[in-house]
Amino acid sequence: MATTREGARPGWVRLCRADEIEEGQSRGFDPDDEGQDSLFVVRWQGQLHAWRNACPHIDGAPMAWRRDAYLNAAGTRIVCHAHGAEFMPDSGLCVQGPCRGERLGHIEFVVDADGELFVKS
Amino acid sequence: MKIVGLESLVFAVDDVRSAARFLVDYGLTPVDVSDRGGRFEAMDGTAVVIARQDDPALPPGPTPGCRLRKTVMGVADEATLGAIAAELRRDREVRRLPDGSIESIDDCGFVIGFQVTARRPFVLPSEISNAPGGVVFRPVNSLGVPPPGSVIRPRSLSHVVYFVPDVMKAEAFYVNRLGFRCTDRFTGTGPFLQPAGSLDHHTHFLIGAPPHMHGVEHFTFHFGGPSEMITNGYRFVEKGYQAFWGPGRHILGSNWFWYFNSPFGCHIEMDADMDQHDASWQPREATASADNSQTFLLKMRRKWYPGPGIPENGDYA
Ligand code: FES
Ligand SMILES: [Fe+2]
Repeated sequence: MATTREGARPGWVRLCRADEIEEGQSRGFDPDDEGQDSLFVVRWQGQLHAWRNACPHIDGAPMAWRRDAYLNAAGTRIVCHAHGAEFMPDSGLCVQGPCRGERLGHIEFVVDADGELFVKS
Repeated sequence: MKIVGLESLVFAVDDVRSAARFLVDYGLTPVDVSDRGGRFEAMDGTAVVIARQDDPALPPGPTPGCRLRKTVMGVADEATLGAIAAELRRDREVRRLPDGSIESIDDCGFVIGFQVTARRPFVLPSEISNAPGGVVFRPVNSLGVPPPGSVIRPRSLSHVVYFVPDVMKAEAFYVNRLGFRCTDRFTGTGPFLQPAGSLDHHTHFLIGAPPHMHGVEHFTFHFGGPSEMITNGYRFVEKGYQAFWGPGRHILGSNWFWYFNSPFGCHIEMDADMDQHDASWQPREATASADNSQTFLLKMRRKWYPGPGIPENGDYA
């Protein structure tokens, strides 16, 4: 498990510096040491969004095609690279593909005053 | 009709460079690749072809979300090509392309092509298991586990799996119009299909699914044996690619499998040691659940690869 920085709230796990995730980029994390990234963070139109790495089409299916590769080439959609479902990066709503109308699982996060990104452990 | 199997699959991609790297890391050999796309060949010359999704030369897919734009099948000779053209012209357009191949569309919206096969024959021993009392053994002092650094390459394009909205109509097209045989079947899901010029358990598998899933579940190449295929899969995982299901062994077809996510809007598989059947084979029917579509894969997972330590939803590790 990642170490919690001094000053961080107990029960929260540090992922990275928030500014390491640039516009149109995504990154996966495994805060509970499950051996596979359980969540991913994307930055879209300036804002960060964190989602469970679990496609609603097949419960629990991992979505990237390569480590950290959760987005289409333009960085405008989250894509499940199992059967191509496409999701809005900000709402997690599936807009094309086999689970259209369903949503990704939302992950709560905070960015502290030092710009560090934390999720609930 | 002597269709010998798949010759190539053509995909529309949104990032040629990433897709090219993916296919090379899978083990395919790039041929004539540029920033507009290219061809990635197995040992016998069968291939995946990629092109930029805005390439006007790409045929349309069955649905906007489907990146597979064409399935090209190889046939034994010109006579077969002519016979297929004549058969399909009875009720649809068949175009002859400058390269001598023909192009048309199947009954579920997939563009199909046929060409005289350009498969390059080769001889390379497949994996052999040593066993007491056995007849065929590996040469003494040769190793069963591929040594680190050994080159592993896919041998031949194996099969493609379509999600189709009307599985009976789709099956009727391949069986009645193109001479495929059903080798085995999942009740309520769909048939495994073998063309007349191949002994492979299947080159096509059809899964009945709702219209919004219309597209491709996966495609795969044959490897030289399970040890080689699984070694290749572990190397692929180490390069950062995402495994989805496997490694394991199917019951129908007996092929070893490992599925991965891909940038092609479908899974890519590695497979090895598929059963071969001739016309004397009686198709089996395995009962899947009555519901098809989205829950089907979950059920298929539990059904197809039961075993200790596999979580209920499958093995994603
Ligand atoms: S599992 Fe995500 S689209 Fe099928
Ligand atoms: Fe398969």
